[in-house]
Amino acid sequence: MNKNLLLLFFIVIISFSDANSAFAQDVNHAKDTITNVEIATNEAKHELPNTAMVIPFVVLLIMIATGPILYSHFWEHHYPKVSVLLGAIVVFYYSFFLHDTHSLLHTLTEYFSFIALLASLFFASGGIMIKVDKKATPLLNVGILLLGAIIANVIGTTGASMLLIRPFIKINQDRIKPYLIIFFIFIVSNIGGALTPIGDPPLFLGFLRGIDFFWFIEHIWYIWLPTIALILLVFYFIDSRNKDSKPGKEYSGKIEFKGAKNLIYLAIILVAVFIDPNVMSWVPNLAPSPIGLREIIQLSVVVLAMKTSDNEILKYNEFNAEPIKEVAYLFIGIFATMIPALQLISHEANILGDKLTVGMFFWSTGLLSGVLDNAPTYLNFLSAALGKFGFNINVATDVKEFMNTDYIFLQAISVAAVFFGALTYIGNGPNFMVKSIVERAGIEMPSFFAYVYKYSLPILIPIFALVWLVFYF
Amino acid sequence: MKSITEVLNENITGLHYGCRVLLPFQAEILKIVIGTKIITNFSKNLEGACVRITDFYTEIYFCEYKNLAEELTKYEVVKLVVVQQGDDVFDFNKHIPIELVIESKHKLLIKPIPDDLLFFE
Repeated sequence: MNKNLLLLFFIVIISFSDANSAFAQDVNHAKDTITNVEIATNEAKHELPNTAMVIPFVVLLIMIATGPILYSHFWEHHYPKVSVLLGAIVVFYYSFFLHDTHSLLHTLTEYFSFIALLASLFFASGGIMIKVDKKATPLLNVGILLLGAIIANVIGTTGASMLLIRPFIKINQDRIKPYLIIFFIFIVSNIGGALTPIGDPPLFLGFLRGIDFFWFIEHIWYIWLPTIALILLVFYFIDSRNKDSKPGKEYSGKIEFKGAKNLIYLAIILVAVFIDPNVMSWVPNLAPSPIGLREIIQLSVVVLAMKTSDNEILKYNEFNAEPIKEVAYLFIGIFATMIPALQLISHEANILGDKLTVGMFFWSTGLLSGVLDNAPTYLNFLSAALGKFGFNINVATDVKEFMNTDYIFLQAISVAAVFFGALTYIGNGPNFMVKSIVERAGIEMPSFFAYVYKYSLPILIPIFALVWLVFYF
Repeated sequence: MKSITEVLNENITGLHYGCRVLLPFQAEILKIVIGTKIITNFSKNLEGACVRITDFYTEIYFCEYKNLAEELTKYEVVKLVVVQQGDDVFDFNKHIPIELVIESKHKLLIKPIPDDLLFFE
């Protein structure tokens, strides 16, 4: 039923796009140049959406934040319908009132890129098993978290979280406490992944809009490093006071690794990120298809991983596609409903201009990334920052110019979107996935609000304030 | 009536029908983990799980599920901490962690939780 709903949604978007003759002309024209630029140029001719069209976006984000807590039963059963329905309102409005199918197709293309990357990382890492039989010490835990922060930039915060959460729990099984998991979420599921577009979904969306792959590591490492160090220091202090352990228990010190072929899948996903007509000239542009060669490769990895992953490993990992299914449904709604919000924010920022400081961008991107999802929030504020300087987020050359001339704004938005995703369970996709794995193991996790007031507010906010004081004040 | 240990040693299976699970032993249930839900409330309310111990089996109703076979994936199991009825529930050594695997034709495999599966009492 839900699959049919999603399929219908895609078909409607693509058919609207095909029916639009103006778009067909654009596509022919775009074949020899960069498609995005052409589409965006035409997009500029369309009038701005009505402000009321932001309502579906706001409603969806509020429901994502409150659904799992206040009306979980309804939400668990109906979130796909809610998401697709709200997205459909915007699709209908853009198709029949604004006659702007360019924005819809552009968004659909972006959605496929986003979900193909996340799904492939999810399925490939789900078939890898790491078993560690060592005695947990604060130093070993710091080492695992630091390793997680680094590899999050290679296999994504989703992949790193999936790969490391089980060995991390296993090592600490005799001294398991919620703070261990919370710090794992802080570092591996969020802040660690700030150095590459693969690291965290918001940065990948920025990459899709035209930001260079290596821009992030060049401009963020010197903020990433002290932030990670400070959080690890706080963790070490807390973890050193955890004296629980099983007396007399012996450890073999063995580290067991299974699922090597899935490492090859991860490598394929990583290489595929660069297979883009805008990055490599030999890559065929498959427009008007919303799925490019990169996405075809990544989705093939999903099928391969599903068919060839070892059953024993999947059972050990209690593999379940529900988390990625949830992301797929929610983000089809988010991507569709945020189209008017992105255009309006960009327009308003253009008008407000000089009044918006880099500090404002840091805090507003950050705080909203914490309570909403950080990926759409990132795009909204990136759009606003570009608008401030008269650039358009839909024009790749504008994004590239902005990246080089006003890098501090882009840096503040990127840092804030990734770092603040750790503020709540709903700030970033892997946060919920880690919580889900931990609860399946029978460990009670803090509630939504306890997570915030016991951990995020006293630990993360002071550290983020320090980042702001040093870099953006 | 078999004991829990006998059921585990002899690989005796239980049954499942919709949201109902039947275990071929008499047991006090201390904790259930199903999906992401950790259930420790076995009072008569309709949330979570409802347990009934008869002279011939122990049955559990998972009230929030329509059909366990449809809602749990083939890699998911239901995890429980049980104590043989009549044994000292306050003695941690008597607590037995088991997993229930939903099979076709209403068959329910009952196994001890393997060491490498993450489960905390």
